[in-house]
Amino acid sequence: MNIFYSFKTALIGLKTNKVRSFLTILGIIIGIAAVVAMMSLGAGAENLIVGQIMSMGSNNIFIEPGSFDPKKTSMMEAMMKEMEIKTLKISDAKAIKNLPEIEEAAPLVVGMDKVVYKDINKKITFLGTTPAAHVVEGTNIILGRDFTDAEVKSQARVAVLGYKITQDLFGDENPIGKTIRIKKTNFKVIGVLEERGSQTFMNLDEYIYVPITTAQKLLLGIDHIRWIIAKAKNENVVDEAVADIRLLLRDRHNIYNPQGDLTKDDFRVMSQVEATNTLSSVMEIFTLFLASIAAIALVVGGIGIMNIMLVSVTERTKEIGLRKAVGARRKDILYQFLLEALVLTFLGGVIGVILGVIGSFFGGMVFGKMLNTNWGFFISFKAIGLGLGVSTVVGLAFGIYPARKAAQLSPIEALRYE
Amino acid sequence: MIEAKDVKKIYPGIVPTVALDGVSFVIKEGEFVALTGPSGSGKSTLMHIMGFLDRPTSGVYKFNGKSIDELSDDELARIRNKKMGFVFQSFNLLPRRSVLDNVKLPLIYSGISPEMEDKLAKEALDKVGLSHRISHYPNQLSGGEQQRVAIARAIVNRPSVIFADEPTGNLDSKSGQQIMDILQNLNNQGHTIILVTHEKYTAEMAKRIIQLKDGRIIDDQIVVHRRLAKDGLIK
Repeated sequence: MNIFYSFKTALIGLKTNKVRSFLTILGIIIGIAAVVAMMSLGAGAENLIVGQIMSMGSNNIFIEPGSFDPKKTSMMEAMMKEMEIKTLKISDAKAIKNLPEIEEAAPLVVGMDKVVYKDINKKITFLGTTPAAHVVEGTNIILGRDFTDAEVKSQARVAVLGYKITQDLFGDENPIGKTIRIKKTNFKVIGVLEERGSQTFMNLDEYIYVPITTAQKLLLGIDHIRWIIAKAKNENVVDEAVADIRLLLRDRHNIYNPQGDLTKDDFRVMSQVEATNTLSSVMEIFTLFLASIAAIALVVGGIGIMNIMLVSVTERTKEIGLRKAVGARRKDILYQFLLEALVLTFLGGVIGVILGVIGSFFGGMVFGKMLNTNWGFFISFKAIGLGLGVSTVVGLAFGIYPARKAAQLSPIEALRYE
Repeated sequence: MIEAKDVKKIYPGIVPTVALDGVSFVIKEGEFVALTGPSGSGKSTLMHIMGFLDRPTSGVYKFNGKSIDELSDDELARIRNKKMGFVFQSFNLLPRRSVLDNVKLPLIYSGISPEMEDKLAKEALDKVGLSHRISHYPNQLSGGEQQRVAIARAIVNRPSVIFADEPTGNLDSKSGQQIMDILQNLNNQGHTIILVTHEKYTAEMAKRIIQLKDGRIIDDQIVVHRRLAKDGLIK
């Protein structure tokens, strides 16, 4: 029995019940499409986020209040706790900067409020920093100048604006020297940052930078800081720098912790690479989680295939008997029905992959619009391979039982069947 | 070639049904045997056992010296494929396949080249006089034509024995005569033919009649005044 004949038989079998065949593979189509779309979108998101973080420089180290406390029950609780830790100070950033492995360290505070210029009124995020922040983040001033250390010291009311917020407020007007108001405080615009593009969940071009002291005193009324971004001199000393920062801060915060137990600290230190890896693995787990939910649809689809193949075997009992009477062996019948199930599921797999790719294309477009970012259309070939592979396996797994049932029919029972 | 010795077939059940109650006979190559008897006499069961489609409950049945128990499933399939041809009362054609494809069916399982398949199938159709119908579908043919396709399918692999189970049962008398004529011709060409029929008239076209009743052979003799289907056709 040649393979061409087997295919012809399988196709005739499926064509005989076109609607039924289509409805049967609908489950497979949906399952595969969902898996492919989820994995493609997940891979796209991961690519985007990791790419953006890495673009900020792989030497960066983040220091924030909090600890690796395993007893924390929820993310919210953890965040609330961190908000209450007020031990991180500007002086810590200065001390970190003096470590031999560190090139630069910038303290940061953050807040959200409205900015007003003439009759324009926009909700923005303001960051209180030192000039070091732009060194760490590697951003350039395209118009005017950055604020100076002296201005930080004197709590000067000056502001450097992100690219987009500048356009929103001033349009074609030259913003330098103009006065904007945040929280009833007047700020003089002294500089504009280059366009940086938005990061996944935040548009950096809408940020306003002010001296950290000004932000603490006039805008937030606090004297601790939210985090420190430090930059190691080169990639090779990042790990040393992380260790040194921990020792330094324990010393400065009077934490007795000779064993280096991270849960005793009131701060967390994480390098860019670590942060990226953590995020990457979180994204991967999330993607897998979504994909496995989608995979349930596949199993349901597989059961549908098995069901319809069993119906098909029953309907064609007489045909099976006849084929056996004219010399078909068990395996000829087995292959015939198995191939039919495989053709069905593989067809479903192909349609599902196509739909999944189309879906992830439009999904990426929608997310890109929503997050105002350039979402790279990303096809997960792993997902396509997986989709086609899984649909074939589903075909085999759920097709084998009906096919065996057909193969084991006794010819005379089958011929007598009405 | 065919040898049955005390063959019994009992269908299990609350009240077991005895379909064959010990039959013995020998059929030689080139014979044309009619198995007759009233319905329930066991003639179809006997034919199924003879065609290796079913197993006897006890006794020995041998085809070419081999019994069903000595043969594997694959060997049985091979014998059915190469040595036997089946013609059924209800034709049993595949509805969605052309006449040519239907005739080819046994060849699909005998591993010959597609060109050879075509050649043999066309020869077989020629023998039953349906060369002009090869690309038709079964539902476009009359009952008699369908049965002739079934015969072409049965002879396409040049089997030594053809089993015909009430081949004229679903046909009008003229088509029935045609079918019987073809079977007689095939017998003349050397095929052994086992015909199951309950009609005395049809049975008398065979060379030998084995008569069954309640699972036993009550008569087994040579037909003295053999009918020729050809004559019936002329009338």
